[in-house]
Amino acid sequence: MNRVRNFKLFLWALLGLGAAVGTARFMFGLGATTNLSDAVPWGLWIGFDVMSGVALAAGGFVLTATVYIFRLERFHGIVRAAVLTAFLGYVAVAVGLLFDLGLPWNIWHMIIFWNPHSPLFEVGWCVMLYLTVLLLEFFPVPAESFSGLAKVRNFLVKLRLPLVIAGISLSTLHQSSLGSLFLIMPYHVHPLWYSPILPVIFFLSAIALGLMMVTFEGLISSYLYRRAPETDILAKLGAAARWVLLLYLGVRFTDLAARGQLGHLADGGWQVTLFWMEIALSAAIPAALLFIPRVRHSLAGLWIVAPMAVTGIVFNRINVGGLVHQQRGETLYLPAWTEIAISAAVVAAAALAFLYFVEKFHVWERRPQDPEAAPAALPRFDVASFASLGSPLVRSRTLYSLAFVFAAAFGFSLLSGEALSSRGVDPAPVEEARGGDTLWIDGNLDGFGTAFAHRRHVERLGGDSTSCALCHHLNVPRDRQSGCYSCHRDMYSVSDAFGHDRHASPAGAALGCFDCHAPDAVKSAQSAKECADCHKDLIPAGAVIEVEDYQAAGYTEAMHQVCLGCHQQQAEAVEKPDLPRCGTCHREHKLLVDDPLLAQRYQRLESRGVIVPEVLEEHFQGIRLAALPQEPVTQIDEP
Amino acid sequence: MKAILTDTTLCIGCRDCVVACRKANALEPEVPRRWETRDGLSARNWTSIVERPGPVYVRKQCRHCLEPACASACPVGALRRTPEGAVVYDGSKCMGCRYCMMACPYGIPRYDWDLAVPYVRKCILCYDRLKEGKQPACTEICPTEATIFGDREALLQEARRRIRENPGRYADKIWGETEVGGTSVFYISDADLSFLTRGRELAQTPMPAHTASAMHAVPFAFFGMAATMAGISWIIGRRMDLQQKSPEDKKDDDHE
Repeated sequence: MNRVRNFKLFLWALLGLGAAVGTARFMFGLGATTNLSDAVPWGLWIGFDVMSGVALAAGGFVLTATVYIFRLERFHGIVRAAVLTAFLGYVAVAVGLLFDLGLPWNIWHMIIFWNPHSPLFEVGWCVMLYLTVLLLEFFPVPAESFSGLAKVRNFLVKLRLPLVIAGISLSTLHQSSLGSLFLIMPYHVHPLWYSPILPVIFFLSAIALGLMMVTFEGLISSYLYRRAPETDILAKLGAAARWVLLLYLGVRFTDLAARGQLGHLADGGWQVTLFWMEIALSAAIPAALLFIPRVRHSLAGLWIVAPMAVTGIVFNRINVGGLVHQQRGETLYLPAWTEIAISAAVVAAAALAFLYFVEKFHVWERRPQDPEAAPAALPRFDVASFASLGSPLVRSRTLYSLAFVFAAAFGFSLLSGEALSSRGVDPAPVEEARGGDTLWIDGNLDGFGTAFAHRRHVERLGGDSTSCALCHHLNVPRDRQSGCYSCHRDMYSVSDAFGHDRHASPAGAALGCFDCHAPDAVKSAQSAKECADCHKDLIPAGAVIEVEDYQAAGYTEAMHQVCLGCHQQQAEAVEKPDLPRCGTCHREHKLLVDDPLLAQRYQRLESRGVIVPEVLEEHFQGIRLAALPQEPVTQIDEP
Repeated sequence: MKAILTDTTLCIGCRDCVVACRKANALEPEVPRRWETRDGLSARNWTSIVERPGPVYVRKQCRHCLEPACASACPVGALRRTPEGAVVYDGSKCMGCRYCMMACPYGIPRYDWDLAVPYVRKCILCYDRLKEGKQPACTEICPTEATIFGDREALLQEARRRIRENPGRYADKIWGETEVGGTSVFYISDADLSFLTRGRELAQTPMPAHTASAMHAVPFAFFGMAATMAGISWIIGRRMDLQQKSPEDKKDDDHE
């Protein structure tokens, strides 16, 4: 088994999936590809990609401080990997942010439009500056391989101490300012997490996380490349981490006690459960385990502690980043698969870049070899067919490409444009109008309908014989009152009015394909016969409204078109400019129906003199509101 | 400084303000979407009527805080408060981080989730009309004068007068008079309006003050950390030098 190749295959597949989703994200917008909403404007991409990405990159400044400031030379062997991780981590943060920002092409605005009051402004600048510092810190490593860059490299090596100090200071600001971001939300963040010293808490946990992340990374890479892990060094990192974790725990609980919020722990509820889970995973259990020397020095022990602490602290960032915000109350946010795909792809890209640097340059003291990357191997031929089977190197690249392409294709197959563009709209089935001579038209039953004087319209438009076809289609056999809702079935979306299956099935019209479609053309709505070719007799003489399409417009749109056209003409004819106004038909909803609650409210308002019937009468163009509860039929537009 | 006073005891819930707002700001009607909240505000509805038990009708809109959290949070200054009192938005600066939506204590700003080029949307107090000397469309259309426009001080006095002169009719509170440093859109009501902030009482501290101390600490943290690190580095370096020197007497310190 080739662990490296399998791992890379997996990463390339994730990248392919992310490429497909990323395309959809920029074509259709955030609503189509995320579960974010007005109630939950920040989700996985901020909570994980940005908040946790930055935290995970904390290994960089912790280790550079250890090696170059505190001069603990025994950690020298892993400092390059830590700087590389930090650099790639920050690049990943920036890339992840490009997906999350609504207008990512404006990200550079932060450079010219300043708002120094904003913690996010500080975060942005720290990312930009620290990314530069990390680049300069890491650059000497790849530069070793190019003799032409020797001068630059020497210069940067001389600059190392100032760079390291700048990096540490920027990280301090940045790690803590991610906490400052949430200081402006005292009414949102749950009191178990909100604290004026959030920045300090974030900084402390970032140090612990940095140590644990470096450990975790060392474990993974030694597993992948079958190296002996530097257990003694990792044990020392663990020894340092336990004290930081202990301090973190102390600060968390002292802070809770000082703010008098410890009582919330007895509240019960899911937030408290979440709190204890987070505390246990991020600090309590890892710290306890790290105090046992046998755990610290054993590979298995580290494999348990490091991932646990990393998960726990990432969990903390996700909690503060939105999970425990209280404005969500009624809104449950779970990331969409598309969001997870993007996050995973960003991590996969960073991991691939890490492996690339590790294999090509001296990130570790001993450069690992990709077992299949022996460039001297000759291409193999299949003698019988003269086909090249490729060199091992090419073969693995072919496999990576295939993984990427197949995953992207799979991703696209899950993202049909139709499915995406209709995301966010729930079907809203339409209800029939109710009533007699006056119809209560309120398709979605939300109370904001209109009392439609049907009888009055019939009379005005010429009586039973001629008026129906002016508003109704009457395309169904013996149709005298086709209900609009029977075809315009959805309140807002287009629905199928034709019913292909009904025409084709033996139980229905039992038509063969060629009864409607031309035999030599692609079978589509365009190549089929017109409805009127068969249903001519069903369309009465003088019909105003015709079937133009096989798709029935949404109910709202259909009704508005029918009513507004006439009302606009009438408005000009009878000089009542307000006739096509919304309020002409849609009045205060329950005033028009028999609703005791509203009648009570109405009387209350009137007794206080709030409602002056005459004023309202004028406002609503002639309706006598006071008379409404007794007689819901309204005098809408009496000439 | 201009303001809006909404008296929920006068509102009959006709929603003419909602329609007028849409017209004045050229907002398209829309279909209900998954990402909308139940209060009726959305990217295409900058004001809405929330029906509360009673029924009491409460018109929701941007509160136009005197010290707005959104403007303080925006990293590029796309949101700002004008001298007239309106908190307005400049889409050409915005980069779409949605920090304003997270920061607003009233949960007002909305987003164009359905668009590939989305902007933040909220009531801007009809700022264009304001500059022409007109009042906002919503207050202009209101048939019962439940929501009225005027100078902030004058409206506050009017609100106090109504509460004083109609004992028992109103809760003794003006929502928005002092909370979060005061808002330019405030309410008087016979019902409890704390639902506007999800039941939480807002303190008088202006929202930007919550981050101010952390932001003021930034330069100190930066240079403090840098100085500490440089100091530690120097001390440790010197110690190591001395340690190296003492056993081997006076050997020239040749660094690489």
